[in-house]
Amino acid sequence: MDSGLLPFFTAMENQGNVIVKGLPACPFSTNHSTDLSSLPDAPNFDLELYISNYKGRTRFDRLLHIGQCSVPLCVDALKAAVVEAKKGKDTQRYRDAWEHLRLAGPNEPEAQFDEAWVNNTGRSNRALTHQLEAELKGYKNNLVKESIRIGHRDLGEHLEAIGNLNGSAEAYVKMRPDASTVSHVIEISKHMTGILLQKRDWAGILTNVNKLTPSNMTADEINAEQPHQKMVCGLAYLGSEKYAEAAKCFLETGDPNICQRYNDVASSNDIATYGGLLALASMERDELQARVLDNSSFRTFLELEPHIRKAVSMFVNCRYSACLEILERYRSDYLLDIYLQKHVHKIFSLIRKKCIVQYLVPFSCVTLDSMNAVFAKPDESLEAELISMMKSGALKARINTIDKLLVMASSEPRAVMQAKALKTVMDYEEETLERIRRMSLVAADLEVKGQGRKGLGGAGGIGGLPGLGDILRDDITSESNLSVEGMS
Amino acid sequence: MDQYASALLAFPPQNEPADNETYHKAAMLHIQRISKMIKERPKDLVAFSAELINVIDPAVNSLSYLAILHALIFPSLAAKVPQNFILEKLTTFLMVFDGRQCRYGGFPLLDVLDAVGNGRLLPPSVAVECLATAILKLDPSGTILTSSHILLAKLAYDTDNIEPALPVIEKDIVYYPGMANYHDAQYPCDLELPPPLYISKTSGLTTLLKNTMVLEYDLLCGMMYCARREWWKARKAFERVVTFPTKDTGCSKIMVDAFKKWILVSLLSEGRHCNTPPPYTSESTLKMFGILCRAYISFATAFATDDVEQLKLEVQNNAQLWVEDGNIGLIEEVMASYQKWRVLSLQDIYTKISIAEIRAQTKSAETGAVLNKDEDVEALVQNMIIAGMLNGVIEKNDDGTKFLLFLSPTTHLSEEEMAREIRAHTVRLRGLKDIFTATSQRLGTSKEYIKWVIKDSKRDKTSDGQDLTLTFETQIDDEDLMGGIPNH
Repeated sequence: MDSGLLPFFTAMENQGNVIVKGLPACPFSTNHSTDLSSLPDAPNFDLELYISNYKGRTRFDRLLHIGQCSVPLCVDALKAAVVEAKKGKDTQRYRDAWEHLRLAGPNEPEAQFDEAWVNNTGRSNRALTHQLEAELKGYKNNLVKESIRIGHRDLGEHLEAIGNLNGSAEAYVKMRPDASTVSHVIEISKHMTGILLQKRDWAGILTNVNKLTPSNMTADEINAEQPHQKMVCGLAYLGSEKYAEAAKCFLETGDPNICQRYNDVASSNDIATYGGLLALASMERDELQARVLDNSSFRTFLELEPHIRKAVSMFVNCRYSACLEILERYRSDYLLDIYLQKHVHKIFSLIRKKCIVQYLVPFSCVTLDSMNAVFAKPDESLEAELISMMKSGALKARINTIDKLLVMASSEPRAVMQAKALKTVMDYEEETLERIRRMSLVAADLEVKGQGRKGLGGAGGIGGLPGLGDILRDDITSESNLSVEGMS
Repeated sequence: MDQYASALLAFPPQNEPADNETYHKAAMLHIQRISKMIKERPKDLVAFSAELINVIDPAVNSLSYLAILHALIFPSLAAKVPQNFILEKLTTFLMVFDGRQCRYGGFPLLDVLDAVGNGRLLPPSVAVECLATAILKLDPSGTILTSSHILLAKLAYDTDNIEPALPVIEKDIVYYPGMANYHDAQYPCDLELPPPLYISKTSGLTTLLKNTMVLEYDLLCGMMYCARREWWKARKAFERVVTFPTKDTGCSKIMVDAFKKWILVSLLSEGRHCNTPPPYTSESTLKMFGILCRAYISFATAFATDDVEQLKLEVQNNAQLWVEDGNIGLIEEVMASYQKWRVLSLQDIYTKISIAEIRAQTKSAETGAVLNKDEDVEALVQNMIIAGMLNGVIEKNDDGTKFLLFLSPTTHLSEEEMAREIRAHTVRLRGLKDIFTATSQRLGTSKEYIKWVIKDSKRDKTSDGQDLTLTFETQIDDEDLMGGIPNH
């Protein structure tokens, strides 16, 4: 690592960021074969190509994110981020990017703080805000609904561009009373989800996402709007760790051409990656075949990311180690994705566990060595992982450390049935006695009574927890001294 | 004296067994006669008692025998008769008296039982045995809790004579004296009667109980089982206290004490503590337990993990508390059993595991470290196998390594064994029928229920066409009904 970068990444690590040391393979170009990208020194992650897939404010977020995480791409990404920030109007973003670049590459020309730009932009931003507010006031006085709506929208868009997310959300909300058509409502919702996505408010998105497809839409409109809705919804589910739901959303995204329009949210490549990975993590083999590989609309996405398709088909064809190997090769790419990064570890371990369970299905007994050969990294044993899986109940098997075997737990339905029958009888007997006993206690007026009713006039509330004094009023000093000294 | 003797021997009639009515009348007459006799010439009775008591057979003429004994013992032991003689007769009487006859014994019998239960007359070991026998003679089903039960439990626990009390303690209590809508039966001598119909305050065979006494009884039962190391039974007993019915958010200190012990005993009987007692525990009580027994709950949580340091910490931090609650003995038991449960938990992971590996993986809670020698582990495992805690065998490999083979936990029974089990349970369930009928009879004849039934039947009648708002709807219904039926 470059000596200048070391303190920078130490600082980043302290902030809780993931550090990706290796070079990413090239996931964003279909021309490269996987063999080439697996070479560690081939610098074939094309940052420019990658970022050109996106538009809007997400470009800066992604660049900054890569700058914070990736060692080899750090300086390039941060430089691009500075340039990107200066293209926009958000001075805070420029400051952020510059702060990072100052630490990572102080000698770069972009590391010089452009105070003039910041001042100018700040001034013009303020002027524009005032202007838009004044215009909006005028519209309000004229009472023309459409103008008021447009006024709020312009103000919202401006505030979003200068980074005042809360202010812009407020402006967007104010559009609602003046929205008169379905498309207006959808527009508001799109703006809102856009803001929520930037704020990473997953729960907020999930509550708002239904408004993206109002019930009175025509089929064509639904086709046009569905990709965006599914993308946002999928991201929200991913963010809240509901992988199965997220996978379904991504798989149902629909037309990639329409999807391309919404590349301020995610690119079609991303949809393929998210959909494929999450499906692998949450679906069974036949489901994967039916819903991923045989899914005609998703196939077009998969063509953008052939390795995902390959991994899925490997899994479906029971070539688990090959599947894991492919995914492992692309792990560092996934770690550079702003939405996926936090979940990569979890998703990978889910897929891995599923692979292990699936691998064992046809066997009643497997040698640990062969398991290690398939799943473990060189010179590492799988045993600890297997044990944790057994403890969590994910794997129903037992280890035989003497003969180095993994033995599947055989279910004996007969014994289970017998035990269940006997347990039912015993539970019935016990419960009957207990219920009759309780009825008798109540009939004999022996319940322990609280002071809830008596305390009606007192200071204590009715039905609240009684205080310590209430519990201790039993005159049982003799019992409290009882102990188990009798045991010997 | 002959006159006395003939009077005392007059009951029961010598000829063939009479029906309930005749028996009842004869018994009442006999009691009248004896009480008159005692009232008129009490001194004579004491004077002749030695001769009389030798003539009368306690197993046949129990009532007469009781009368003489009572006269000898109360108000204080008769001075003229040797004390040992009286006590010997008392013991004989309690061991052999006729249960049916003594249902007429009333308060003199209760006096005698109380005196014995207080431990004043007989040495404790004898007293416990006599009392237990007497209780079961009066009520062979042992299903009603009487004041004698409570004396018995206290005496047995305090003097560590638990064994002879077990026949009484182990019975399932379902009735309590003073239950609403149980009145003394017309003929108490009827052997078919459920016990609450002849053991009551009015029949003189028990006094009324307070809820603290009932709670204390179950708590004592639990502690007796603890002393015998029958953890499972102890757990059930404590559970009865913990789930005791409460009203108006009441809670008793005995319940809190029992909850603490319940947690510890759960650990001993099942190796873990399921957080919630049975569902019918009242919620306010549960809250209270959560607050007052926090130390116990976190101790139980630490027990179920491999983190021996945490467990030791929990114990040390609350050392004072254990002593104050009188639970230090149980805590020590729990700590001693920790390693056994850890070994047992290995069976969820391994089928065969070498002794050395067990040693490395399980720690003793007493020292917080692994055992020193493989031999110690082997001895520990052997003990567990012998105690029936662990289903497995220790075997030796060809190369001399010893290993533990866990046997399948579910062994399935043969058809005959299963049938036998089922038959045994059927018998037990049939036994419940008596209790069931008695309870349903009690509830079915209670005033409130009958009132409700009458009200209900009236409402049915009045609703026919009288409620104007309903008439319209019923007409519509009629039409619909008729419309649906084809005319034949």
